[in-house]
Amino acid sequence: MVVLLSRLPATECIKFCHRVVDGLCGREPPRRSEHSTTWSPEEWLQLLDSLSAFYRRAVGSDSSEDEVLGGLADVGSSHAEAVLSVLRARREEIHHALLDRTNSISSAVLQDFDWQLKLSLSSDKISSLHTPLLSLSLDVREDAALRSVTMEMNREELNTLISSLEAANKVVLQLK
Amino acid sequence: MEEVDKILIHALKQVGTEVSEETGSVRQFSSELIVEAVVRCVRVIDPGLGGALPTSLPPGMSARFRVGMSLAQACQDIGYKGEIGYQTFLYSNEPEIRSLLMFLVEKLPRESAEASDQPQGKSAVLQRAIAAAIRAQLSVPWLPPHCRLPLHSQTQSPGALHSFHVQPLSLAHCSPGKKPLKEVKDYHRDILPPVTAQPSHHASVVASILEQHTAELSAAQEWDSEWNSQGLLSRLKPQEYLSRKLTRLRKRIEEQLRSAALPSPESASGGPRPNGDLSELLLAFRGSAPSDHILTKGSHFTHTQKFTFTTTEPSTSVPFAHQSDSDVQLRRQEEQLSLQEQQLCSEVDQLTADMKHMTVTHAQVLDELKQRELGNSEKEEKMQVKKKTIDLLPDSDDNLQKLKALVEASAKRVVHLACQWEKHRAPLIDEHRRLKEICSRQDLESSQKLSEIKSVHDKIRVSTEEAKRKEETYKQLVTELENLPQDASRSAYTQRILEIVSNIKKQKEEITKILSDTKDLQKEINSLTGKLDRTFAVTDELVFKDAKKDESVRKSYKYLAALHENCNQLIQTIEYTGTILREIRDLEEQIETENGSKTVANLERILSDYKAIRQENSALAAKVREG
Repeated sequence: MVVLLSRLPATECIKFCHRVVDGLCGREPPRRSEHSTTWSPEEWLQLLDSLSAFYRRAVGSDSSEDEVLGGLADVGSSHAEAVLSVLRARREEIHHALLDRTNSISSAVLQDFDWQLKLSLSSDKISSLHTPLLSLSLDVREDAALRSVTMEMNREELNTLISSLEAANKVVLQLK
Repeated sequence: MEEVDKILIHALKQVGTEVSEETGSVRQFSSELIVEAVVRCVRVIDPGLGGALPTSLPPGMSARFRVGMSLAQACQDIGYKGEIGYQTFLYSNEPEIRSLLMFLVEKLPRESAEASDQPQGKSAVLQRAIAAAIRAQLSVPWLPPHCRLPLHSQTQSPGALHSFHVQPLSLAHCSPGKKPLKEVKDYHRDILPPVTAQPSHHASVVASILEQHTAELSAAQEWDSEWNSQGLLSRLKPQEYLSRKLTRLRKRIEEQLRSAALPSPESASGGPRPNGDLSELLLAFRGSAPSDHILTKGSHFTHTQKFTFTTTEPSTSVPFAHQSDSDVQLRRQEEQLSLQEQQLCSEVDQLTADMKHMTVTHAQVLDELKQRELGNSEKEEKMQVKKKTIDLLPDSDDNLQKLKALVEASAKRVVHLACQWEKHRAPLIDEHRRLKEICSRQDLESSQKLSEIKSVHDKIRVSTEEAKRKEETYKQLVTELENLPQDASRSAYTQRILEIVSNIKKQKEEITKILSDTKDLQKEINSLTGKLDRTFAVTDELVFKDAKKDESVRKSYKYLAALHENCNQLIQTIEYTGTILREIRDLEEQIETENGSKTVANLERILSDYKAIRQENSALAAKVREG
């Protein structure tokens, strides 16, 4: 399906491939609205899928350039060269992205975490409280859906959390 | 005194008393001003005590008297030891007022001064900053959303708060060792957008950059600490250490995966071969994970899956081909086919079982064969030895001799060889020992150097921590310094104090000079009186001796006695005049102080106040009578 690529001029092709790799590495993929005249929706989806699968396979199985070129036999030589140059430039980045994918193999993965430290100065009963509170929000990715978990802790609870996390880290270090 | 008054007035102004610019000294204070100053000081020192006192004098004379009494009482309650009463305020006298004001100003609480003396804790600074920020925010009025200026949007609009979302960034790193590929350079130059344009939302730019930086930093730190703790001890180059760690990790993961994979039937049938390496194992895993079908290469498992799928395909496709035929025919065919299929299946099962059995027996037979072959070769050897001995038997004596000679020769040869071996061995052993020593010495040196390196690392860490801490305290102190009130008169005060101290020193010197002068004078006077006494005694004796003989000498003796007495009287009178002069001076000083306390004016005021009180009393009495 990479054949569809030949509808683009070679210079455009490099840019487009870079955008596809961007999408592969977790950034913004190319938008269909920019190329709506070139491909039909079905072709667009096929092209995107096949291109990203191609890059993934090429980096994941660490295949040589000849093998890659062999896979691109049905595309014109200038386009194949463009695809290959993009692969050469971004090989390391794709490699990292694939490693990340493998690392997040479990069912729920921590995507981001954010914390805010709040100092509650007083409450409705106590005029001077001066208790620090930490609100921790965890963005957990579960089956490609983002779920946000938020909790508020005082000093002791935070200490318990940190100590348990440290224990977990120790276990991970022992595995190494 | 003027300096003292200036300080006093400055302090009073800070308390809140309205002292006009012209008033330069305490002497110019009016009664009202004194009362106000004292009341304000008392209020600051003890709010409970000063709260009941009015800051200005009432018009009525008796009320004034009462205010004076209560003020005097308040001052005594605070702890003023000097003489004080209503007269101190109403009929003021400069020294008394000055001492009272000095006492009060000293009593003023100086929280700011004390607080600035010692460095405040971090929490105090933070809490003060928080309080200031909240106060500032509270003082800003709330505005409806459309009227907000950028100033308000920071605190009042909720839109400014973004949650923390990270997107991966691509940065052009320059690794020092490798030269980047031409394609990479082109990509970085032409196509890679700047970092601020890479994330899809503008809000996550900062978060992404921070996250990337933290990740890189923590990775570097982890590597650093690991290298310092374990890597250095292993005495390898970093690359070697890394590759060794990688192989170790691979092995471990492989073991874990294999032990986890064995019990599951799926992978047991798809079966990684027992001697396959990690990549094969991983391939097997990729094949069994359905979500990763893009990554799938042809693994053993998928091959078998494909195989079974393709074998069943024709059996299902055949009946569909003859869809146009009648139902009966179809059914019959179906039954036949299913029967056939069952037969085939059972045959296949049987055949596979047979095959397994055969392979097992084949392996057993092979083993047996090997064992037999081994036994055969052993037996052949034995047979050959026996054959030789049988050949030698007929000519036994001769052969025995030959054999003995042979044995002797070989023994000699062995001894000779042993001698030669010894000869070679000694230098070799020496060499070995020497090398061993060198090795151990080098080991020792390297371990010493290792420990040195470690200690240097520790030192570096400790000193960086210390530097950080010191920088923090420095920052804190700087902020405190900025927060301190700018007291401009402080340097003037210190300068003045220094001047006063130097003046006092000068005066002390003068006093000591005068004291030594007086001492000298006293000494001279003493020596002169001694001399006088002695000369008088001698002359008295001489003249007394002669006076018995001569009449004129007796007269002169009488004169001498009279002269002596008169002189004594004279000296006494001089001393008297001295004491009287001193008394006069004392009295003059007293008069001056009395003059300073405005006695006459005060007396006049007292008289007029007295008259006023009497008038008030008579008016009151008249009112009472009328009522």
